[in-house]
Amino acid sequence: MVGTPVFLIAIPLLAAFLIPLIGMIWKESVRIIPGLVLAYMTVLSASLYLFILENGTYVETIAGWQAPWGIDLVFSPLTGLLATIMTFMGFIVWLYSYRFKSNVEFEAAKKYFIFLMLLVAGSVGIVITGDIFNQFVFIEIVGISAYALTAFYTGRNSAEAAFKYLIMGSLSASALLIAIIIVYAQLGTLNMAEIAANIDQMNVHYRIIAMIFFIIGIGVEAEIFPLNGWAPDAYTEAPGPVGGAFSGIVVKAGIYAMVRMMFTLFDISGPMKILIVIGLVTLIVAETSALRQEKLKRMLAYSSIGQMGLVLVAFGMGTKAGVFAALFLMLNHAIIKPLLFLSGSFLTFNTTEKYISQITGMAKKMPVVSVLFALGALAISGLPPFSGFWSKLSVLTAAADENLMLIIALVLIISVIEIVYYFRVINRLFFFEYDESVSVKPHKPGFNGMIALFILAGLILLIGFYPASVTGYLDLAADDLLNTHQYIDKVLQLGQSIIQ
Amino acid sequence: METILTIFIIFIAGTAATYFLGKLNGVLRSILFLATLAATGWLFFTGITPESGIEFRILGITMGWGITPFSYIFAIIVMGLALLSGIYAVKAMEDEKNLNFFFANFLLTVMSMMGILFSLDLISFFIFWEIMTWSSYFMVVFTGKDVQKVGIKYILFSAIGAYAMLMAIVFIYSFTGSVLIGDFIDNFHLFDTQMQWLIPILLLTGFGVKSALMPLHVWAPGAYSNSPMSYTAMFSGALSKMGIYGMVIVLILIVQQIPNGYWIKEVIAWMGGITAAMATLWAIKQDDAKKMLAYSSIGQLGYIIVGVAIGTPLAMLAGLFMAVMHGIFKSTLFMVVGAVERQTGTSNFTEVTGLIRKMPWTFLAALMSIIALAGIPPLGGFIGKWMLYESLMGSNHYLLIIMIFFSSTAAFLYCFKFLFGFFLGQEEKEWSHVKEAPAMMVIPMLILAGFAFLLGIFPGLILKPINEGMQFLGYVSTTNRFWEMSIIFNDWGNAVVMMPIFYWIIGVFVFFLVFLTIKGYKTTRYVSTKDISTSGEIPKEHENLTFTMGFMQPFLRAVAPVMKRQIDKYYTSIGNGLEALFDFTRRINTGNGQTYALYFVVFIIILLLFKDSLF
Repeated sequence: MVGTPVFLIAIPLLAAFLIPLIGMIWKESVRIIPGLVLAYMTVLSASLYLFILENGTYVETIAGWQAPWGIDLVFSPLTGLLATIMTFMGFIVWLYSYRFKSNVEFEAAKKYFIFLMLLVAGSVGIVITGDIFNQFVFIEIVGISAYALTAFYTGRNSAEAAFKYLIMGSLSASALLIAIIIVYAQLGTLNMAEIAANIDQMNVHYRIIAMIFFIIGIGVEAEIFPLNGWAPDAYTEAPGPVGGAFSGIVVKAGIYAMVRMMFTLFDISGPMKILIVIGLVTLIVAETSALRQEKLKRMLAYSSIGQMGLVLVAFGMGTKAGVFAALFLMLNHAIIKPLLFLSGSFLTFNTTEKYISQITGMAKKMPVVSVLFALGALAISGLPPFSGFWSKLSVLTAAADENLMLIIALVLIISVIEIVYYFRVINRLFFFEYDESVSVKPHKPGFNGMIALFILAGLILLIGFYPASVTGYLDLAADDLLNTHQYIDKVLQLGQSIIQ
Repeated sequence: METILTIFIIFIAGTAATYFLGKLNGVLRSILFLATLAATGWLFFTGITPESGIEFRILGITMGWGITPFSYIFAIIVMGLALLSGIYAVKAMEDEKNLNFFFANFLLTVMSMMGILFSLDLISFFIFWEIMTWSSYFMVVFTGKDVQKVGIKYILFSAIGAYAMLMAIVFIYSFTGSVLIGDFIDNFHLFDTQMQWLIPILLLTGFGVKSALMPLHVWAPGAYSNSPMSYTAMFSGALSKMGIYGMVIVLILIVQQIPNGYWIKEVIAWMGGITAAMATLWAIKQDDAKKMLAYSSIGQLGYIIVGVAIGTPLAMLAGLFMAVMHGIFKSTLFMVVGAVERQTGTSNFTEVTGLIRKMPWTFLAALMSIIALAGIPPLGGFIGKWMLYESLMGSNHYLLIIMIFFSSTAAFLYCFKFLFGFFLGQEEKEWSHVKEAPAMMVIPMLILAGFAFLLGIFPGLILKPINEGMQFLGYVSTTNRFWEMSIIFNDWGNAVVMMPIFYWIIGVFVFFLVFLTIKGYKTTRYVSTKDISTSGEIPKEHENLTFTMGFMQPFLRAVAPVMKRQIDKYYTSIGNGLEALFDFTRRINTGNGQTYALYFVVFIIILLLFKDSLF
């Protein structure tokens, strides 16, 4: 092992502190150090993940305080998988944006890369922490870096978008805090495992109220309807790679927090109506809104929200197959949506408005990027033989096992809408003539950006043609999430003695 | 076993090579493209036997590839048409742009169709089905005309069909725990009644879209006429047959098991009949050859659907025979239109006339296939129609016969229009420069026309594999009951012998040739080409005297009430309504921070109000 889970949080925080200082001496360091840190995090979480696959869940206690009292980090097949995906996507986003705005002055680059790093670190923190208050802190770290990144282009629109995000974020933070207070007042603990072990002692009314406030508190990060109003604006106004990071990393953390809360904290088993209802409403509203968008990134943002709705529906089924399908969807979405955002921001590079009409006929000028965008669009709309198909298929079979016919029908109808709006863009891109007066000037994509895109595209093809390459890991993760007792045992018993 | 895999590997490698190496050199691209088709075709026709098959597992689901005698019939159509239209495409597309994309996509479509036919399980069937959908979609929009309208309509309907199918597939999987088509058929009787009705209907919706069954056909006229003609030859000839292929399996092996399931068959047969009649009327109305052929394809598919939906042995024989014949003559006709368009620059009847002397070989191919289409002996179309009528009579579908008879007679009108519009009529100066299409385009057409002729005289050539396929589906052998090599019987044993008909027709031709030569030799009378149609008045220069201008107005006036209501318009208004609705949902996110804060509060209240039912 190259380290313990705590390094996943400590190293980026330390680096964030040091970068401005080193940057005074060596300017290029503000670009390179975050990349090194993210690469290290990726390697670390991947090796930890492989380690725990062999040796079982690894629980780290911080500063020697044992589990119910101190904070612990849980690196299990589920959290490890998510952490690996997130750090990897963080690295991809860094790779893409390494030369990002190289003409821009040092200050802007410094802020961008530090916040990007913090965004990843915070998201990983949300996933691996075993303490609800600690999770709250990480949600705040993610939130603050996300507001800052949204407002990166210091214009009127981006400030407005960041402000809206800020309003929603702070409202949700207070809701989350209320929930935590209720739980603490009732059970006297903040440790997830201990809450889960003692949840039966909680008054049933308090339990429901706490759950509602948890849902609302986390719902803003998880982009559920109607708390996702900030998302389209933020995705649109933030720099392109940040959109990729939001959809690939931040939302996943939000979804994880929500699911962990439902499955483990409140130990609900069986179908969860609330998740299914929220997920379906989110899915329908987002996908139908996406159909009528004029801006590319906005459309992608709505599509991202819709996919998250589908993930919640799949989780809500509460079965092994449902959880597996949801994780599969999350994995695919974490790969495909950044590909769309990154290639999409190459296509619309020289515009400020990012209208879909502005990329008319761009395939003539930027063939490779356009093909990669099309690949992502085909994959996300679930067309075989690309990766999105398998996850959609597993969602549908999971629903069929539970005899949820209405859900199957709705999901498929929504998929039709999805196909329509993605194909409209593909049409514009490939089968329209390039028109100087409408389309933007093409931007020559950078070498590092293309590598990032090719890695993502390669993963899509790999999973598409050989889904067995990932299903084993997803299977273990799904077992891990559903097995609450094992989680409690691991965390609380390992907490009795300090394990190196 | 390995042959199937080898075929797929060659296809994939060929597609990649055509795409990437094709950028270097046009000749190399054509060679790679044709070599891929030739290699797979050769492997298929020599190496594949019904025993071939492989099994594998993905995501814990057992899947299998193999070939059955039944899918073999369709595979013959696909591989044959792919080879011939491939040769045609190489020459016809010569001057277009983006050819490596075109040819790679062409190969992908062929591969996906073969994949559909090789699939023994529903998941790989669906995967190949979707690959077929999007690869053909890229061909529909390839020309860049009407991309958003025609293209989106095609992908929308395909997606609806495909997802209806996918829904059925997940139900099947969750009920039986297996996706193998064989298991599904064996276990179908165990499903509850509701599912027994729902699953076939969903599957038929999926197949109905691809086989352009009304009211799911609205994508077809645009898509067929919009894609490059060398591709439409395969699109209409082979790709639409995939719908028929699935439909036969569903109707014969699955619907058969439902108590009272014959209702589904009757309904489908009637829908097929209506499709045939309506599409024929619309075909007559068209002034553009591509559109006309597109509607005509829909109509012909209607006949085929009637045949397979009736499902008596003779009707099935007729349906499948017509499927093969339609593949042959309709692709020839699309190739003819492509050739005419390439040589003249337009495919409009009202503009092009009198090409018979300029493009004699193309005319010959067109003539043969039109005769086959119209169902005149001795070409193959006649056999199919004869068997269809007989089978409808044998199974007491008299109203349906009237319908089919009406549309098949009305089809003569557009058949005539096609021949006359392009090839006969007055020669005009405007087209005096037109030359015959290149040999590489003419030869595939003539080969196909030759097949139409051959199958007309020896229908047994193709009825033999069809018979084997039908035996696989559970029919008793129809040899000697309905057909021998050159003889077909009906339910009552009356025979039509094709060879004498052929001799008779040759005799009549020779007689008329002799007669006309002698008569023409004696009294030669020279007239201008324009003196009949104008009754002696001298037409002005700009007057369009093309025969097909306003052709068949009285007929169209007579049938106008039937054609007034267009399903397309209903779909358009539904689509517009939905878009307006979605525009409304888009406005839920107002972009105003205060509204979002309000939503936040409202959401808490809703959750608190409904907490008892939600948690």
